[in-house]
Amino acid sequence: MDLQKNITDATTEIFETMIMMEITPGDPLKELVTTFHHTVSGMVGLAGTFKGLLAIHTPNDVAKAITSNFLGLDVGDIDDDVKDAIGELANMLAGNIKQAIDTTGKDVTLSIPSAVHGEEYTLNCLANAEWMIMPFTTPSGEFLVELQFEKA
Amino acid sequence: MGKKILIVDDSNTMRKIVGRSLRQAGLDFDEVFEAGDGQEALNLLATQKVDLILSDINMPNMDGLEFLRQKAANPAIKGIPVVMISTEAGSDIIGEATSLGAAGSIKKPFTPDQVSATLGALL
Repeated sequence: MDLQKNITDATTEIFETMIMMEITPGDPLKELVTTFHHTVSGMVGLAGTFKGLLAIHTPNDVAKAITSNFLGLDVGDIDDDVKDAIGELANMLAGNIKQAIDTTGKDVTLSIPSAVHGEEYTLNCLANAEWMIMPFTTPSGEFLVELQFEKA
Repeated sequence: MGKKILIVDDSNTMRKIVGRSLRQAGLDFDEVFEAGDGQEALNLLATQKVDLILSDINMPNMDGLEFLRQKAANPAIKGIPVVMISTEAGSDIIGEATSLGAAGSIKKPFTPDQVSATLGALL
């Protein structure tokens, strides 16, 4: 299972198809990131034969640019529309990446997406999980796509 | 007479995007209604006639599969075609939706052309 390729392909397809924004993938991070500043994080939990978390972490300016392109309207502040859009983005990423780790489609269940936003917050998932964090560059800045999982 | 479409999704963002894709796809319809989950959709269908339903699967309160079950048990609305819009199109979940009466599925992410190709024959 090539997680780097799966995350890159899923993220690129979603941004090309529905957000109409050019993104450039970078190299996977070598250290886990758990603290975020002025960011919106969208998250979907995984349960079943694989358990864990799929998250996208978008700095405020990137979150507003994504939402603006997604909905075709001007976005001023981080509001419920922005959090809903980033949560839905996490949902689409999770659904696409799930297909790579759960080929039958019935061994992993996805949670309802959620989103958090704040000046500073910390996210912790599984203590001993495998993880992959991929950075992507947009015209508005960089965002991260994170997958943490372990076999149940 | 103009056709009416119901979009069922807990994400306000996705309801807006599906609505925009319907317009971009050039489909023949006049009015779009929205519901945030399966129960809201059933409540709306009790008073509002629609010609086609587009529904997410993974929703709080009442998900898309339970919505299909309850719709199938109601003779007044069981004939309305439902197309599932999901990140999991092609999986066993879509197979279950089909067995419950779904008329088709669209995988997220999607383009207006994919929406048009799937819905064109149903409107």
